[in-house]
Amino acid sequence: MRTAFRSMTGLATALVVLAGSWAPASAQAPIKIGASLSLTGTYAALGQNQHRGYQLCAKHVNEKGGVLGRKIEFVLYDDQSQPATGVRLYEKLITQDKVDLVMGPYSSAITEAVANVNEKYKMPMVAPMASTTSIFKKGRKFIFMVQSAAEVYLEGLVEMAAKRGLKTIAIINEDTLFPKATVQGTIELAKKNGLQVVFVEAYPKGNTDFSAILTKIRAANPDVLGAATYFDDAVAITRQMKELNVNPKMYGVTVGGDLPTFYQLLGKNAEFVYGATQWEVELPYPGAKEFLQAYSMEFPGRDLSYHSAGGYGGCQVLVEAIKRAGSLDGEKIREAVLKLDINTVYGGFKVDPDGFQISHKMVMFQWQEGKKVIVWPDELAAGKALFPTPPWTRR
Amino acid sequence: MGVIITPAMVGQVVISGLLAGALYSMVALGLALIFGVMRVINVAHGTILMLGAYTTFWWFQLLGINPYLSLLVSMPLMFLLGVFLQRSMVHRVVDAPELSSLLLTFGISIALVNVTQYAFSSDVRSVEFLTGSFLVGPLALSKSRLVSFAFAVGLTLFAFWFLQKTKLGKAIRATSQSREVAMVCGVNVQRIHLYAFGMASALAAAGGSLVAVVVAIQPEMGQVYTFKSFLVIVLGGAGNYPGALLGGMLLGLVEQLSSLFLTTQVSEAVAYVLLVLVLLLRPTGLLGGRST
Amino acid sequence: MKRAFIAALGVLLVALALYPITATGYGIRFMLQLFMWVALAQSWNLISGLTGYVSFGHVAFFGTGAYATGILVATHGWHWMPASLMGGVAGAILALIIGYPCLRLKGPYFAISMLGLNEVMRVLVSYFEGLTGGGSGLSLPALHASVQIYYATGLAAVAVTATAFLIITSRFGLRLMTIREDEVAAEAMGIDTARYKLYAFLLSAFVPGVVGGLQARDQGYIEPMAVFPLLTTITMIVMALFGGKGTVWGPALGAVTLFVFQELVWARFLYLHQVLFGAIIIVVVLLMPRGILGILQQRFQLPRTI
Repeated sequence: MRTAFRSMTGLATALVVLAGSWAPASAQAPIKIGASLSLTGTYAALGQNQHRGYQLCAKHVNEKGGVLGRKIEFVLYDDQSQPATGVRLYEKLITQDKVDLVMGPYSSAITEAVANVNEKYKMPMVAPMASTTSIFKKGRKFIFMVQSAAEVYLEGLVEMAAKRGLKTIAIINEDTLFPKATVQGTIELAKKNGLQVVFVEAYPKGNTDFSAILTKIRAANPDVLGAATYFDDAVAITRQMKELNVNPKMYGVTVGGDLPTFYQLLGKNAEFVYGATQWEVELPYPGAKEFLQAYSMEFPGRDLSYHSAGGYGGCQVLVEAIKRAGSLDGEKIREAVLKLDINTVYGGFKVDPDGFQISHKMVMFQWQEGKKVIVWPDELAAGKALFPTPPWTRR
Repeated sequence: MGVIITPAMVGQVVISGLLAGALYSMVALGLALIFGVMRVINVAHGTILMLGAYTTFWWFQLLGINPYLSLLVSMPLMFLLGVFLQRSMVHRVVDAPELSSLLLTFGISIALVNVTQYAFSSDVRSVEFLTGSFLVGPLALSKSRLVSFAFAVGLTLFAFWFLQKTKLGKAIRATSQSREVAMVCGVNVQRIHLYAFGMASALAAAGGSLVAVVVAIQPEMGQVYTFKSFLVIVLGGAGNYPGALLGGMLLGLVEQLSSLFLTTQVSEAVAYVLLVLVLLLRPTGLLGGRST
Repeated sequence: MKRAFIAALGVLLVALALYPITATGYGIRFMLQLFMWVALAQSWNLISGLTGYVSFGHVAFFGTGAYATGILVATHGWHWMPASLMGGVAGAILALIIGYPCLRLKGPYFAISMLGLNEVMRVLVSYFEGLTGGGSGLSLPALHASVQIYYATGLAAVAVTATAFLIITSRFGLRLMTIREDEVAAEAMGIDTARYKLYAFLLSAFVPGVVGGLQARDQGYIEPMAVFPLLTTITMIVMALFGGKGTVWGPALGAVTLFVFQELVWARFLYLHQVLFGAIIIVVVLLMPRGILGILQQRFQLPRTI
């Protein structure tokens, strides 16, 4: 009984002390930037990519003497790809760790959840990896979008198809927030460009067998197949298309097609596949070459995807805003971000008063001879699309 | 926005279902072995499958060894891991309530998955070997799935032959029918448990090696196969070895046909609804429990 | 001694009630989720700790409650308080539908059928897109009510602990534990086992539904993958087991210890914390299957109703 009593009172004290304690920040300390990322769980591969972008950005900023005379330092946690954990961690970053500013997590779903937290504390959050429009169109004032919207990921595919006189499109997607937004956007774009949508179906996250869904697509025989993917599924779908001999004249994926691993995994079978991407190494954005070099020095052998560049670019945006605001005050930084019109490693950055991105450009590439050749939009294109995609039996 | 379903499409997915089903059967046979002799549900079964898949991947990637040849590596390796797990931990919960073994093996599973993530990263990998298919009329037969199917059938038949004909196999079956009687007949039950866990892990590893050739792999891939194996052994009757075969094929077909007629999303639920129905109508599984 | 214990308990409750005055936002959210875990571990204990029927899909009730509440708040404009109570009702209704057939299953079969229930619920929620938002998730209108939800969740935790106390000290509890020790014997003694199991199951499903609803309100955004994860079920089981299943205070003790530990460890091991969690599970199962309180009970001959 006595033990129980002691442990109870001990517990009560411990809890109150634990939850109420924090260390005051000193003036000369580095600027602390908080973030939680999906380092384990279902989004781990992409979250880790973003993490490397943040790390590299902090390193570069500090090598150049930091900002406002102070170095920057990331306080980073793992949200295990779970929105609830993300919410708790952002609350912790802001109120317990007393970070000066926050950067966004990975994925639209987790950003949607944590956006309520930073909003509550009026702390600006540059969210590099959230592209679902609805997140930014809810009247939130302190969240800023860095990349193009989910809805326009497949704009290039649809436009190119329409230009070549194709008539029908099938769309499949993973059943989560971001890919679903892509599908809705693509249906709209297809209608606008005069393409008929002949098949739409979602598959659950983590699905590996696409035999049935591809069998249906083969029967629908669309000219174009667009897949709103997250990488694992992009690889599996491409492979199983060959196995089931599904032959659209154009086939494009959203996330994952751009990773070098996509080609390493699929080899020749990745040829002719179109991929939507927010960023490519060879795009003529300032600092992109240096970024690439530094990245391969710092993280040899690791994948480089647009998620790393986005993390880096988002961090650049924040640092630039701090510089222009001349302070760490949330309102002032918000003002500064809204006025920014710059180019980062990741491309253009300018947001409307809602924080919605209006300058960043989406590009469409096609795998040709093991290289990603940018084929859309015309002003950024480095080559011509190989059209139509030959049937699997004639490759 | 659907499409009209033709007989050719049904034929196509039936083939896919059977090809996948053979793999499910083999992997689930492993789970059934462990459950049969020890009454332990091994939640780490899929994790061992994942490790088998990585073994194949690395042999292929670093040494360029034929992925099917790597079965010779992954199976003994996971056999040893299974024996080690049984010897060091699982044997202590064999007679405890099922909660202990469920949790223990879950703990082993997340520790192994996390270590794998740390060591190999969460990047998706795959073994590109034998891609493409044979086209037979309106049907496409995937080469890698056909070969994997053949290996799965071969290994499963071998396992059955082993259980039926060898002394050790008979001892395993005797133990799963009644541990007490087996003990009285001079069977060293502790050793049988070790062998059973080892064999089960080798079967899981084989599943992993064959899966690696068919789909991309990553550290968290195992859970799906653990769940599918649960379904299979319950459908077939837990501890019933031929039941595992039937259950695997059935699961493959149900998944594919429901994905075709409904959606891939719903097919997951259909399998579980079937499971609950079978449990309620025939609590001992389609072929009845325990008999061998 | 008993008086001292009650006094300590009173002090603890008062301290917790006053805590929001000085707390940071994180402090509130931390404690709120701590209460949630206490309530979940306690609820699981009501069915599985007492009757021995391992619910391996208990998060299904949590998720169901979250969606019921989310839909009532987002689509029908309900206040979150009645809505989260309805979340509890939804959990209980689900338990009634599934419990009647499934509680006939024994041992591992029940565990697997509960696992299946959780998967089915997740798929159903994804499927009925018009109602639930499907895979896009469901966003609730922004509302900063963490402090009120802190009290509500705390209340849920206290209520379920009190329920556990009442049950374990009653004949109802004795009957449940008889079922756990030997169901056939219990039936032979004239206990209507089906009825008692169902009662325990309903009770154990109600609070996760309420807590799921409160969480949905507090997070402001739910999606199928996030409210039906297997890991949540496992975590509540490990908490109950760690503290001592089948006891009144064990699940609460386990929840507090493990959650605090997890939160402290998280920050330091970005990539490897899951290994630690796995190791904890293994250690608990192998070395202390009766949990902290179980060990104390044995060593100090504490009463069964602790």
